[in-house]
Amino acid sequence: MSWAASPPAQVAGSALRRTVGSASGVASLAGALVIWVALLGPVITLLTHLSWHQITTALAVPGALDPLLVSVESGAITLAVLLLLGTPLAWKLARGSLPFPRVWEAGVLCSLLLPPLVIGLLLIFMVGPFTPIGELLGHVHLSATNTFLALVIAEVYESAPYYVLGAQAAFAAVDPAIEEQAALLGDRPSRVARRVTLPLAAPGLAMALAVAWARAMGAFGAVVIIAYHPYGIPLQIWTTLQETGLPTALPFALVLLVVALPLPLAAYFWSARARGRRRA
Amino acid sequence: MLEADVELDRREFRLSAAFAVAAGERLALFGPSGAGKTTILEVIAGLQEPGRGTVVLDGRVLTRTAPPRRQVPPWQRRVGLLRQDPALFPHLSVRQNLAYAARTRPGPGTGRDEITRIAERLGIGGLVDDRPARLSGGQAHRVALGRLLASRCDALLLDEPYSGLDASLTRDLTDLVREVVAARQVPSVLVAHELEAAQAFADRMAVLDQGQILQLGSPAEVVAAPAARRVAELVGYRAFVPLPEDPGTVAGVHPDRVIPGRQPGRGVVLAGPVRSCRPAGAGWEATIEMVTIETASAETASAERASAERASAETGGGGAGGGGAGGTLVPVRLREAPAGGGDFTFTVLAPPCFRPDGTRVTRAEEVPT
Repeated sequence: MSWAASPPAQVAGSALRRTVGSASGVASLAGALVIWVALLGPVITLLTHLSWHQITTALAVPGALDPLLVSVESGAITLAVLLLLGTPLAWKLARGSLPFPRVWEAGVLCSLLLPPLVIGLLLIFMVGPFTPIGELLGHVHLSATNTFLALVIAEVYESAPYYVLGAQAAFAAVDPAIEEQAALLGDRPSRVARRVTLPLAAPGLAMALAVAWARAMGAFGAVVIIAYHPYGIPLQIWTTLQETGLPTALPFALVLLVVALPLPLAAYFWSARARGRRRA
Repeated sequence: MLEADVELDRREFRLSAAFAVAAGERLALFGPSGAGKTTILEVIAGLQEPGRGTVVLDGRVLTRTAPPRRQVPPWQRRVGLLRQDPALFPHLSVRQNLAYAARTRPGPGTGRDEITRIAERLGIGGLVDDRPARLSGGQAHRVALGRLLASRCDALLLDEPYSGLDASLTRDLTDLVREVVAARQVPSVLVAHELEAAQAFADRMAVLDQGQILQLGSPAEVVAAPAARRVAELVGYRAFVPLPEDPGTVAGVHPDRVIPGRQPGRGVVLAGPVRSCRPAGAGWEATIEMVTIETASAETASAERASAERASAETGGGGAGGGGAGGTLVPVRLREAPAGGGDFTFTVLAPPCFRPDGTRVTRAEEVPT
């Protein structure tokens, strides 16, 4: 046993004793508990309202799982786009190496602050069939409305700020002094990035990517306007709800949860472990 | 051999310094915070570009602002830099940290056996499989030094790496660096704002203030014979007493260069009441309010009374504390506590004297050893 770290149970116990020791401590604990239960409430409700039979019947309908495939594929492409384009931007934002950094940040925040529905509306005016971009796409037989491409575009818009801002924080947490040492020890910048910056930022990047994945999977507001077809899971839930009612829509909610959650959870546990290893 | 000649405009002053460090030599850049010391190291390491200047290491031109311009990037300079933060790679084991440069600079010195040997020599042999987060401050600094050794750098730059560590650890690590520099025969430059750190490390010292090198010499030389009043202030002269026969000229008093009693042949004799006295180190530190001064030049040999100072000392009862318009407060370090009652007489050994403009003047007082 190491002298430095007490066993977790003991730590938790003493932390609990310290918290319960005062009236304000009790109040804050109660508050935290209420929030936590409230946040988990919908998930618990979903699980208690579903029977195995309901799930199998709903998913046995021919083509019922097609939206799942559409969502996973578009989500994966969205992540690839974010990784490729968002990572360099996040790195430059974190290092302050862009001129007018506030302007760049405001640009990223813009798509976070606009309601997804509004983004969808504006995207129609930006990449719709009668716009310059739309016409350009038409030349190569592509369309950015009601297509798979439109779905990806909508998902990128809805998830990009979550990834870029998260990745920016992850890069900012890497101590420039460590990168400087790597350079002085003989590594050119690209190698410093590969051997030092990326491994150190990886837990934070994974978290940012996981959040972006969850946003992309659940993207609805912009999607419903610009990419009603092909259906992803959120639209499947929406149309099922409208056409056949609440009970038949619920199994798809579970599917969405099952598909969207594992990656964020895995990323969370992995990054927590990686950070813990570095600290102790 | 490391040769640096650097000019750089800073907001407050123009940094301008030129020096050469031979292989195996240890130079200390000593000066107050903000004098531009770190900037010089960063220019040598290639982290900053100077406004004008050259940096040459073992005949390789690393920086040259005159045409043909040259600015070798940091990763090609083979210059090692140690800072206060050891900046170990937290995601790598100690062994991987030590061997970090092996991939870019393979060769003897980076093999597995060599890494083990370096680790053993630095006293971190048992830690090679640990992560940096588990190391103590001293261990982390040993790993940082070992990492530079394994990278086979051609020059060693130290930016106050051990300030903030406890005294015995600082001593150990400084000795270790001295050994390394001697064994590898690389030029080394230490930046220090504490005189002790510079003295403990260097065989030559450059005193830097406001971007200018005021004096370059051995640490003993600089302390014994500061070239200007500002240098004297920086290396620990704590009082400057006016010489009565030469208005404006002052003699620098270093607390350590004082002996009790009157020995006019060896320097300047001062006398005055003891204002405070406390034990310090192996001896005592006392503050004397100077009221009389006797110099070798003033052959009258009778003590010249600075009457105004005397008067103020009497009327003020010495309670002013900071000296004010009264006599100059002179801190001294003595082996024994000065006897109480009456004026305490002591001799300042061969004090350096300075003109009103701060430049050095050679006088009879400082000729004796």
